Amino acid sequence: MTTEELKNVVVAKSVDARGTACPGPLLEAKKAIGTIKAGDVMEILSADEGTKSDIPKWCGKQGHEYLGAVEENGYFKVYMKKK
Amino acid sequence: MEPKKLCLALYTGSVDKLTAAGVILGGAAADDMKVDIYVLLQGARAFRKDIGDNSDKLPMAENADLREGFLQSLKNLKVKTWVEFFKEAKAITDVKIHICGLAGKVWGGEKLDDFIDLADDICGISAYITSAQEADVNLFI
Repeated sequence: MTTEELKNVVVAKSVDARGTACPGPLLEAKKAIGTIKAGDVMEILSADEGTKSDIPKWCGKQGHEYLGAVEENGYFKVYMKKK
Repeated sequence: MEPKKLCLALYTGSVDKLTAAGVILGGAAADDMKVDIYVLLQGARAFRKDIGDNSDKLPMAENADLREGFLQSLKNLKVKTWVEFFKEAKAITDVKIHICGLAGKVWGGEKLDDFIDLADDICGISAYITSAQEADVNLFI
């Protein structure tokens, strides 16, 4: 998805993991994924660069769809759709 | 599908390597891996009830002169302690922690109750070898 599309996507769950370092954001995503329905989109807010590679890899293994990342001021948002 | 299995031989009793093990456990938990941890020699000391999360009693494996800076940096970054990492992984996935019987005795621990409540049992070396043979990923830390 393009940055513009990601900015307008409807998010069912927002996980703010900006206060944690690796593997914190990944584990926060793991805990939160059980709270949304299949087809829902979740965003993960992180300031840990490792999250940008962790979430796509994790999505690939778990069967979720990685949608992309959007840079914000001092952090970024990663988007994924639950399988 | 059967979950992938990680077998970790945890020899270390140092705060830096225990923290690294905790980070790896986090990754395994996110992947729903089944994890078997075999606590060997120095590792069993860290699992004693009077030590555990008490970083003052845990040495560094490398660069001992950087210890204070390392611990302060972990604190500044709000990184969990090794015990908190292990607890979190146990709450998410199937993690079993086995204390080597010999290692326990070396540090004065004969019974499960002598160790922090992360430990699930005390075992012999055959249990480790069997688990290692069956595992998809083997690590020695």
